[in-house]
Amino acid sequence: MKIRPGRILAYIVLVVLGLVGAAPFLYLAILSTKKRIEILAQVPPKLSFSWAQAAKNYNEVLFSQGMLSFTLNSIIVVSIATFIAIVIGTPAAYAFSRLRFRQSEQLANTILSMRFMPPIAVAIPLFLMVKAAGLQDSYAGLVLPYVAFSLPLVVWIMIGFFDEIPAEIDEAAMIDGCTRVSVLWHVMLPIVRPGLVTAALFGALFIWNEFLVALYVIDSRGFQTISLGAATLVSAQRPIDWNIAATVGVVTVIPILIFSLFIQRYIVRGLTVGAVK
Amino acid sequence: MSIAAAAPARFAFGTRDEPGRAAWILLGPCMLYLVVFSIYPLFHSLRLSLTDLTAATGTGNFVGLANYRALLVDPQFWNATWNSAILVTCSVAVQVVLGVALAVFFNLHLRGAWIVRGILLLPMLMTPIVVGVMWRALLNPDWGVIDWAIKAVGLSPPDWLGSVEMARVTVVLVDCWQWTPFVFMIVFARLQALPQEVFEAAQVDGAGPFVTFRRITLPMLMPAIVFATVFRAVDAFRSFDLIYGLSYGGPARSTTTLSFFAFQNGFQFQNYGYAAASSYMMLLILAVGTTILLKYVQLRPGTSR
Repeated sequence: MKIRPGRILAYIVLVVLGLVGAAPFLYLAILSTKKRIEILAQVPPKLSFSWAQAAKNYNEVLFSQGMLSFTLNSIIVVSIATFIAIVIGTPAAYAFSRLRFRQSEQLANTILSMRFMPPIAVAIPLFLMVKAAGLQDSYAGLVLPYVAFSLPLVVWIMIGFFDEIPAEIDEAAMIDGCTRVSVLWHVMLPIVRPGLVTAALFGALFIWNEFLVALYVIDSRGFQTISLGAATLVSAQRPIDWNIAATVGVVTVIPILIFSLFIQRYIVRGLTVGAVK
Repeated sequence: MSIAAAAPARFAFGTRDEPGRAAWILLGPCMLYLVVFSIYPLFHSLRLSLTDLTAATGTGNFVGLANYRALLVDPQFWNATWNSAILVTCSVAVQVVLGVALAVFFNLHLRGAWIVRGILLLPMLMTPIVVGVMWRALLNPDWGVIDWAIKAVGLSPPDWLGSVEMARVTVVLVDCWQWTPFVFMIVFARLQALPQEVFEAAQVDGAGPFVTFRRITLPMLMPAIVFATVFRAVDAFRSFDLIYGLSYGGPARSTTTLSFFAFQNGFQFQNYGYAAASSYMMLLILAVGTTILLKYVQLRPGTSR
């Protein structure tokens, strides 16, 4: 490719795009190493870096304010909920992909449309149910609603993956004496493993940032999730200590950064299953 | 197919060629779960919306459609509806245009572009509340770096979150920062999957880049664009946590969307009946909206278009 002015312009645009995407994070990271007063006094913030102040901020946020344990809570709740959603969602997706019974189409569409349900429409009843079951302030009180939130997405993604596997494979196995259920277990699951990973990643992502139900269900600090913890930390204290708020922000970004490295391979399939064929 | 014939008739799930028992085993747990934790709460919500339940008065009395009648004459409700309409329309329009432009741009396959694609993935994974707080820092009128940059080039920065008109614009801008990459990723994936022969043929026929885009690329991208539009529209309508972090509905309720309105009634004022009624109005709008949209898009993947 020859070097042309258009090409140079394109690279400038590319760099600008990268900056628009990354600069807000960098700004947050810089603020998270400052004293509260420095943020107000230095505009723009100096690029000097003080280990001591950074350590102080992160120590405050991770341990004193409990963001580390909030992160662990999120990991526990989201992992359990995602696992349950995969276990009960995968067989359902398989059934929708293979069995054509009366109203199967409408039933599938009903489940899939639940992906669009505003959490606000079910948050209060879910809260009342959780309260009636005595599960306020517990992992179970979050896991139970979260499975319901991620289930439609898991079913949706898995249908896409099952549809790609030729039905002849099932038929061959069934002629060999397998039942539907054993075909799913012994034949399909090994083939559809990338689908399971995609569904798990996106199902987890769908509930990782959930905030509304957690706001109702969780009262004590011990069971706060990462989004709820971040929300209470940055909105409870007014006026905000901006160095602490920025540190909270960076702490929430780190798991996402790690997650995004895993998700790169699956992102296109996960976002577009059904849209791109 | 002989297996189907052997299945006992009483287990039939309206099947044509499969044993119904398998359908029950495979579908049962999922359906049961969703009935208990999605369908039942929805009905419960409907029942709540017909009562005057608040957190203070434990037993809600049946009040019929009073909540709905009150909503329809509540100026705050119409304000929130209007704000939602503005937010959804403006953000989705901007995101679709920019997302398609980005997809075409990244189709140039510049060296190192994959790094920028990776960066653009991050905003949409971020906790919306943190996105809101982060932008409040960037746009801070006293020490925010964006205002400083605008002043440095001799202009005066707008009052991002301080004035009624500008706050709406700011919410749209931040939503676009977070979600344009979503449209881009979907459209870009489709663009990558298009058959190259078509473009070669267009080139042979002497079509310029503009005509090629208008007549060939855009129509072939349409399914992906529609898909992305539907998802973004519904998610922008549902979301309230960005607002929670960014503007908390203000100033003067100028960024109070329907979700935020329902949230405030339910959580802050603990007016459960009224909140349930407003969330049912949202569901109604969603149902009407998606019914219209679903005439153009197929929800279910895999079935033939």
